[in-house]
Amino acid sequence: MLDWIQTLGESALSRLAAFGRAGQLLMQSLIARPAPFTMFPLLVQQLYFVGVLSLVIIVVSGGFIGMVLGLQGYTILVDYGSEQAVGQMVALSLVRELAPVVTALLFAGRAGSALTAEIGLMKATEQLASLEMIGVDPLRRVIAPRFWAGFISLPILTVIFSVVGVWGGAIVAVDWLGIYDGSFWANMQHSVDFYEDVLNGIIKSIVFGAVVTWIAVFEGYDCVPTSEGISQATTRTVVFSSLAVLGLDFILTALMFGEL
Amino acid sequence: MEPLSDIIIDIRGMSFSRGSRTIFDDISIRVPRGKVTAIMGPSGTGKTTLLKLIGGQLKPDSGQILLEQDDIPKLGRRELFLARERMGMLFQSGALFTDMSVFENVAFPLRVHTDLTGDMIRDIVLMKLQAVGLRGAARLMPSELSGGMARRVALARAIALDPDIVMYDEPFTGQDPIAMGVLVNLIRRLNQALGHTSIIVSHDIKETLSIADYVYMVADGHVIAQGSPDELAAVDSEQVRQFMQGLPDGPVPFHYPAPDLMQDLLQETP
Amino acid sequence: MRMRTMEIGVGFLMLAGAVALVVLALNISGLSLADQSGGYRVYARFENIGGLTTRAKVAMSGVQIGEVTAIRLDPKFLVAEVEMRIRDDVDYLSTDSSAQILTSGLLGEQYIGITPGAEDENLMDGDRIQDTQSALVLEDLIGKFLFNKVSE
Repeated sequence: MLDWIQTLGESALSRLAAFGRAGQLLMQSLIARPAPFTMFPLLVQQLYFVGVLSLVIIVVSGGFIGMVLGLQGYTILVDYGSEQAVGQMVALSLVRELAPVVTALLFAGRAGSALTAEIGLMKATEQLASLEMIGVDPLRRVIAPRFWAGFISLPILTVIFSVVGVWGGAIVAVDWLGIYDGSFWANMQHSVDFYEDVLNGIIKSIVFGAVVTWIAVFEGYDCVPTSEGISQATTRTVVFSSLAVLGLDFILTALMFGEL
Repeated sequence: MEPLSDIIIDIRGMSFSRGSRTIFDDISIRVPRGKVTAIMGPSGTGKTTLLKLIGGQLKPDSGQILLEQDDIPKLGRRELFLARERMGMLFQSGALFTDMSVFENVAFPLRVHTDLTGDMIRDIVLMKLQAVGLRGAARLMPSELSGGMARRVALARAIALDPDIVMYDEPFTGQDPIAMGVLVNLIRRLNQALGHTSIIVSHDIKETLSIADYVYMVADGHVIAQGSPDELAAVDSEQVRQFMQGLPDGPVPFHYPAPDLMQDLLQETP
Repeated sequence: MRMRTMEIGVGFLMLAGAVALVVLALNISGLSLADQSGGYRVYARFENIGGLTTRAKVAMSGVQIGEVTAIRLDPKFLVAEVEMRIRDDVDYLSTDSSAQILTSGLLGEQYIGITPGAEDENLMDGDRIQDTQSALVLEDLIGKFLFNKVSE
């Protein structure tokens, strides 16, 4: 029994210590004196790897999710004779919830794991130590551009996801199921509020972007520099960032839409 | 043995431990200027750790690491980075930046630390690559190089800023005999031509002894022997002899500690 | 060369993001910036506004002519007072127009329907519509129906 409590305390302490190191990493890499001229090309490079290369998976998933929403919404709403409301259902569920959350989850799987593996590999092959010995702070050179790239990319990807999703929903509802497109769009435009829904969705995605990239770069930077350690760190990135996204989504939703 | 008067790095009574494991216990090492100093010992004695301590990437628990007058562990971030500009380090894996070409890898320290024009950087890089015999490979990416070539490029990068001290971490490990010969030759030649101080950490006895001026042998956190290669060969210590001659059994036992074999075999499985 | 592909890619991503944001704003949430400033205000008192909310549409013959901008309780008359903003080009609502809270479809949202009257004078900024008809509240309706049944 005492052993069990000791194990519990031990793991709690190591979690806490990891959290502290993660915070330290974030602080040091963000507060590290910014060097805009050397930073910019690095940022572009990372935006390419993190953002542009995630575009395809985001567009494809967004389209399919929108189409499924259109189909499901139609079959439910047609029972109540309110199938015109399918537009607002698709748009609201996408803009408020699905776009930020699903994009963040896909992003964690596509870009987050890649970031962790890349940084882990740089650590294992002593590239980070080598930077340090050359007199370049790896936090500024390696971590900071990657963090900012993720932070900037995710909201952009989320907005694209929303639009593609609504478009997919419109294809199913209007073109296949024959809902009058005037009422489809008018209902949607009337019920979706730019500030309440769209901006809140974007705020969510900004938070998710920061958290997912933070976890990804930290796990890479903090990993055990062996092939086994890197694979474990990659798994941890996906698991932790998915959990963090879902948990934070509930909190943010409660703050934004609930009467909290 | 010439008197160690002109000392560039002076480690005094330094202790370092990782967790509960003591890696260095009150160790003292003096590195003479302009010479090739080798630090040898069995795997797992923290030789790489020693280089990281000198480079200020790790901090010792106690003791001093003096680079001339500066105590490395006590330097602030800024001074530490200045001190590191005087050091070049060749990592075991080469540690080339995988997203840059060979040319850019060698140019990187120059771009970071100097305000030289593009043309001047180009000239310096090509000269350094010429010195390691890889000027023709300037356009290649690190993934296209063999292990030995990667290490030579890394060496060119380590000497790009003409450092006072070049540290080699296991430079010969995992190299074929030709690449090994090339590296041995290169380290010796560069040391003479550029006049920098070299510190080699290695357990490849023959190659290391052939170029070292002075050797420290480290085991179990202590210096167990030191001197010129000839002096070391004459040391009458079982531990040193086992290492130098590569004997399978000795003070470092062949068997991992275990109960008596017969007893183990006769024991019934629970 | 590699850098160039990357820069083009990133530029494309930024552009796609900007376009998507504009689409979200204009096409999906129907945000039009002109709505915020233009128009004139008209008030109306209702005994019961049902589920009417701000930003609900104000329509005439089903065509939107404005939106509800504020709802408050009038402490003197103890009824709801609704402030709505009517588009400037709709300047032909007579002072005896009537306002009615309607529902679009069975599950749809509630909106205000305006029926114009016959007076020559038109509503101006700050005027009040006198003739109003409250929202249809289902419970009241059922209550009345049962009451009638019993009294029969």
